[in-house]
Amino acid sequence: MTTIQQPRILGAGVDRVDGPLKVTGQARYPNDVNLPGMAYAAVVRSTIPSGRIRRMDTTAAEKSAGVLEVITHENADHLGEAPATFIKNPQPPLQDDVIRYYGQYVAVVVADTQQNATAAAGLIEVEYDRHEALLDLHDPRAERIKDPWGEDTAWGDVRTALNRAPVVIDQTYTTSENTNNPLGLFTTLAAWDGDTLTLHDSNQWPNMIQQVVAAMFGVPTDAVRVLTPFVGGGFGAGLRCWSHIPLAVMAARHVGRPVKLELTRPEMFTGLGHRTGSVNWIRLGATRDGRLTAIEHESLTTLPLDGDEYEPCSSVSTWSYASPNVTARDQQVRLNIPWTNFMRAPGDAQGNFALESAIDELAWEVGLDPLEIRLLNYAEVDPKTGRPWSSNALRQCLEVGARRFGWSERNPEIRSMRDGHELVGYGVAGVSFFWYQQPCSAKVIVRGDGSAYVRSAVTDIGTGTYTIMAQLAAGLLGLEVEQVEMQLGDSSMPVGTAAGGSGLTAALGSAVHDACGRLIQKFVDLAGTDPFSPLANVPFEDVSVSEGRLFRRGEPTRGESLARILAVHGLTELSADGNSTPNSPDELGMTPAGARGARFVEVRVDEDLGRIRVARIVTVNDGGRILNEKLARSQILGGTVGGVGMALFEDTVTDKDTGRIANATFGDYLIPVNADIPDVHTEFVGEADAFNPIGVKGVGEIGLVGVAPAIANGVFHATGKRIRSLPITMDELLD
Amino acid sequence: MTTLTVNGTEYPLDLADPRVTLLDALRDRLDLTGTKKGCDQGACGACTVLSDGRRVLACLTLAAQCDGREITTIEGLESHPMQDAFVRHDAFQCGYCTSGQIMSAVALLGENRAGTDADIREYMSGNLCRCGAYSNIVAAVREVARHA
Repeated sequence: MTTIQQPRILGAGVDRVDGPLKVTGQARYPNDVNLPGMAYAAVVRSTIPSGRIRRMDTTAAEKSAGVLEVITHENADHLGEAPATFIKNPQPPLQDDVIRYYGQYVAVVVADTQQNATAAAGLIEVEYDRHEALLDLHDPRAERIKDPWGEDTAWGDVRTALNRAPVVIDQTYTTSENTNNPLGLFTTLAAWDGDTLTLHDSNQWPNMIQQVVAAMFGVPTDAVRVLTPFVGGGFGAGLRCWSHIPLAVMAARHVGRPVKLELTRPEMFTGLGHRTGSVNWIRLGATRDGRLTAIEHESLTTLPLDGDEYEPCSSVSTWSYASPNVTARDQQVRLNIPWTNFMRAPGDAQGNFALESAIDELAWEVGLDPLEIRLLNYAEVDPKTGRPWSSNALRQCLEVGARRFGWSERNPEIRSMRDGHELVGYGVAGVSFFWYQQPCSAKVIVRGDGSAYVRSAVTDIGTGTYTIMAQLAAGLLGLEVEQVEMQLGDSSMPVGTAAGGSGLTAALGSAVHDACGRLIQKFVDLAGTDPFSPLANVPFEDVSVSEGRLFRRGEPTRGESLARILAVHGLTELSADGNSTPNSPDELGMTPAGARGARFVEVRVDEDLGRIRVARIVTVNDGGRILNEKLARSQILGGTVGGVGMALFEDTVTDKDTGRIANATFGDYLIPVNADIPDVHTEFVGEADAFNPIGVKGVGEIGLVGVAPAIANGVFHATGKRIRSLPITMDELLD
Repeated sequence: MTTLTVNGTEYPLDLADPRVTLLDALRDRLDLTGTKKGCDQGACGACTVLSDGRRVLACLTLAAQCDGREITTIEGLESHPMQDAFVRHDAFQCGYCTSGQIMSAVALLGENRAGTDADIREYMSGNLCRCGAYSNIVAAVREVARHA
């Protein structure tokens, strides 16, 4: 009984179960919670990128109306070290006078209203001793970290292969810094009750916040409860315990009241990390007919002075195409900048832009159709190990996408297609996304009335976890979706992993799968102790479940409802815990393949003005088994919008003199608006993946990847201009 | 004392502090937290509410300006077809921009600006959605506009 019994529930476009709460304004995000006696906090940030605080004058702020407390490094609590949780977390704020980047927190003000707190924060005067800052990626004085994760990869002999290759593409591709900018302002509402602490907090991983805060404040982990039932998006921003969180906790302890600290939009640019810009140097070697003989990919990305970041841009070149010789290396440079951090498809987004642009250049160089060259160099097996993929429908993505798009109608000549003032270009890109899964747990409980509920500490950042897990549990327990209640986003529930890395569906889904299997086993065992049960003496393997009833497979009348089994045994409910850990590629003899995809884009460039417009997009993806096509499609649509942003708009600009982010508002940092997004056709292909019991791959990030190179490749087809630097802007297309 | 009329209910408010925006008054004083703060700078549309039937940004409206006006927030919609259409078309993900999107979309119908997809896209462009649900938002608005 570990197979899904009601396939009609899975895959179906079930509406979001949390939808009614969200369209009526009833879903409570962390900043929507108001507690009795609550005070408000406002932060003060450094205005230099490097140096020390010489003097702070907080007198005026302390006297300002409604102010309860001003905390600086001079009166802050000494906090414990922040443990690393997969990646590093920022060390506690206000522990010394050292400034490491522009925007670092130097004080927090607590007052009776937000208006009073914000006004008082503006009265704090800070004098600094400014030191010279490292702000340029190419500054020779900056620390360079080679092979930061020990994942640099090489096979074959790239040097010799490149020397002998009749065709070589040798180009540099750069991407800009991007800022996650979830719409929800990240907020921490901290409330102490004696030595226990409750946090209403915006994040993507409640158990991580719990663990880090407990360590910093020296309390047992279970004395901290983190509540995140809803969060206004994350896109990676909620995967670390950022410094505003301990600031709120410290402030609440100082004033003896609950304290709400809601970041402002400009603070969201400096306080939650951002996607590192990247320089990607790629050399491709190929035969004259376009077959790859070598791929060399090196990347350079940035780090803050005191943090880490996993952003292996070059790794896409180790699994995307078949090549007998490959070298992939990454380097990072430490600068006086706000933290770099995960943002939807970290590393892959940048690396794929470089690789898919280079492959396109190779196609033009050898005179091959850009679609054909991708099929010609298709990686039938994992090129690094020679192992089979757990599943891989990239070929189908490319072929189906080409048909839907009408790729065959493309005139291969540059600048050959036009519509009035507009040059028309078709671009394509392939995507091979990484695979990621972490351990996770869940509890599934069946109540006396036969309904069920599922609990896990994980949060649903908008991907649809509430809904698809309700579907999965319903399918496994033989219930209707409406009979399954989901309880997520509470660190006191069974320990859950991050809503990140496109890995939550596999991790939590496998845990729910495990729990449901154990729970049915318990029901079968229970029935087995009842001599009057129709299921007495029926072995577990022979039991099936449907419509809330267990029955002997092939004999539907011989069974008993879950509710009746509980009633007979005088139980109000029965529960089981489930856990999941990633399978071992070695044991299974296969390489887990992340999602796969293909992008086809029609771009239009105004010949006189250089204005770029994306006219239509076809995006076809292999996400393994799709648990809910409606919601999975939304993930892809959303990723596509992010990809358009990366390609055409998004650029976090740091002033090279002061280290200040110069465009830290939604007025200045452009993201796509509704009118920027054309018709998008999405489609899924592929089959259930063999690497986890529920066959999923995760589609939260892949939608973004490949959009930017497809647009850039389309711009080349339209105009003959190869843009190797994102974002692509009008000025680059003017003659 | 200022009187705020929100969703048909009159709330007497002590607005000794003139800096209080309509958005903060709704969220912090009246606990009507369905209206969201995404930027507090008039750039994202998450705080869109109706003032005498016109869409306004609550973050750029001082509460003290609203004396005598009828404010409608997401909590004041009574099972509007737009809400149902947003659910069925999956026109949101995290849901944070949704209140503002729906208030804008409801106003759009009254403005007669939902005639074509291009119009919907243009006149819904003051409401940012970082999850990228734009295509589904257009689908939801289109459906309600056609049946209006």
